[in-house]
Amino acid sequence: MSSDILAGLKKAILDYDPDASAAAARKAVEAGINPSETLAAMTEAIREIGEGFNRGDLFLPDLVGGADAMSSATPIIQEQIQRLGAKTQSTGTVVIGTVFGDIHTIGKTMVATLLQAEGFTVHDIGINVTSDQFIEATRKYKPDILAMSALMTMTAPEQRKVIETLKAQGLRDGVKVMVGGGALTQEFADSIGADGYDPTAPGAARLARRLMGR
Amino acid sequence: MPFTRGFTRRFPPLRVLSDEQVEDIHRGTLRILWSTGVHIEHERALKLFEQNGCKVDYDDMRVRIPPALVEECLRKAPSSFPAPARDPNKTLMIGGNNLCLAVAPGHKTVDSQTWEPREATRKENYDAVRVLDALPTVHFFSPYTPYFGFRGVPACMAMPESLAARIRCSSKFQCVGFSNDSEMFAIEMAKAVGIEILGTCAWAPPLALYRDAVESTFRIVEAGFCLRVVTGQVMGGTAPASIAGAIVTNNAEVIAGLCLAQLIRPGTRVLCKDFTAPMNMNSGAPAFGGIEIAIHNAASNQIFQRYGVPLDNTTAYPNAKVPDYQSASEKAFRVMTAGISGGNTLLFHGSVHGELTHHPIQAVLDDDMAGMVGRYMEGVNTSTEALALDLIEQVGPVPGHFMSAPHTRKWWKLEQFLPQAADRLTYPEWQAGGKRTCLDYARDRVQQILATHKPMPLTPSQEDAVERVLEEARAYYVKQGLITADEMREYRESMKSPNYPYE
Repeated sequence: MSSDILAGLKKAILDYDPDASAAAARKAVEAGINPSETLAAMTEAIREIGEGFNRGDLFLPDLVGGADAMSSATPIIQEQIQRLGAKTQSTGTVVIGTVFGDIHTIGKTMVATLLQAEGFTVHDIGINVTSDQFIEATRKYKPDILAMSALMTMTAPEQRKVIETLKAQGLRDGVKVMVGGGALTQEFADSIGADGYDPTAPGAARLARRLMGR
Repeated sequence: MPFTRGFTRRFPPLRVLSDEQVEDIHRGTLRILWSTGVHIEHERALKLFEQNGCKVDYDDMRVRIPPALVEECLRKAPSSFPAPARDPNKTLMIGGNNLCLAVAPGHKTVDSQTWEPREATRKENYDAVRVLDALPTVHFFSPYTPYFGFRGVPACMAMPESLAARIRCSSKFQCVGFSNDSEMFAIEMAKAVGIEILGTCAWAPPLALYRDAVESTFRIVEAGFCLRVVTGQVMGGTAPASIAGAIVTNNAEVIAGLCLAQLIRPGTRVLCKDFTAPMNMNSGAPAFGGIEIAIHNAASNQIFQRYGVPLDNTTAYPNAKVPDYQSASEKAFRVMTAGISGGNTLLFHGSVHGELTHHPIQAVLDDDMAGMVGRYMEGVNTSTEALALDLIEQVGPVPGHFMSAPHTRKWWKLEQFLPQAADRLTYPEWQAGGKRTCLDYARDRVQQILATHKPMPLTPSQEDAVERVLEEARAYYVKQGLITADEMREYRESMKSPNYPYE
């Protein structure tokens, strides 16, 4: 019975169907399935999509469709976890956003989705994010990694500003910072004191695992 | 065929849509502007829209524009307008049957042997502007041109430094962008030097306009300058994956921007832009070389001819990394489509790969391609003299020929466009000459231009004004905390060259 429910949940994510995945998640809760098992089934599904994307069999709309289906089920399971006071395993927590003055969303969304596929808990705080908003999210979610995107040469210095503000607020030592974006280079990432940089979205997901020591 | 003031199409434009399709797209645009509306993060703009009959939700920052206001604003925008250059001989007319080409900028330069990207130096930036000034088919300069920045210059100074370089080394018409209030300094520099500029209002698709873009719009329009309303959508990402759907979203955004400009100052000269690319579904990057852009542009050109508003076409960025077959084909479809379907402007010259790299060698190659399209747009002259019936009768069948006819000596020069970098040698000549390619000829032409071309100089007072405004911008950004003490030291150091500002 539980295996049927979890198979249904996995299928809903593989079918990119957010309504079906939410319904399957509710069924899992009603059946009293251990939330860790439910989350494992969901991660398996999104990882399968991520692997298909990395192989070139699946494409960006499939990746984002899978992530949407997963996102609609996640709060239902999170609520169950909180209610039961259960403990779950996550690869780590990431806060991600595109810096202030920059409204490019696609690269950031790809990285956020692939991080989910790697088992990270991801808080995507959007585009045009000010340094104050990055700091606020860092305080709120206490992430292991803060990930910042900037496509434009003119907005890349915002990443430096966020890192400097993290330092000034005494938060820098508690979080790894990774940066990305079309105009960036490893040299620039080093110069602003980031912990990591990768020019591609799949590379960024691997980088996040490395930063977590995995 | 010097083409220094743009190309003129002498035949009816290509039609890729039926009249019914044009109206379907127009009605769709009106519906989106009224029912969905657009998100505008600027209270003064929201109030202005509300005062003019729009539905405004201040909490959501959403503006819904009624169809009647859209139609009224489209009528108020001029169908064509002069774009005065510092050199009056290079003043353009934007709109109508004209196509004016501009520079396609890049974040960085490339090494011209390995084609790998790297940061440009000050000298490379200034040299690149000089080359572009010398190319007859570069009709005006786009913002951020030619590089988004160069070594030693803090990022926030990239825009003011770019405009300074272009004013110093080119007498052509200039377009400016906005970043961290840079348009304030662009306006001041333009007024101090006594030139016109084309400002920019850039949307964040889908259907959103952020504060800095609106500030730029107010400042440019209130200063009496003309405005380019730009999007930058990616089909399947920030716009529908279907071409028709992506025309509707692009239309809705640029028309909402046009409405804002007309509400601020009725009659403002507006150049809208169709800036669309399909998404590379593997990487998420724009597939700038996609042929879908050309058909999107052609359809949009047709719709904007119905509106009577000039349209800028999607910047001709290639996906290729080197000036090769792929690069040439990606660029050729785009510039030719703009030429024959009624695009009014196109950022074209010099982009090596997307908006990431630019190089003068590429710009010289593009000058040839642009000239070919300019020639094509001239069409076919069917005057009595061109038909040459008397001459054909006089020469008659073989062994007659046309080579010695005075008509030939006159008309071949009128009809043929002569590319400067293309290899047109015979095999024996090519082998004897070291098998040189168009790239070799382009390298030579860049060197020849740099050795000989002298841009129209600024007067001493104009030069002083440019440097004074740059100093004001530097002080402003230091005060804003956007230039650190270390960056300022490096910046000042880079200005100590005896040949400052040129190297």
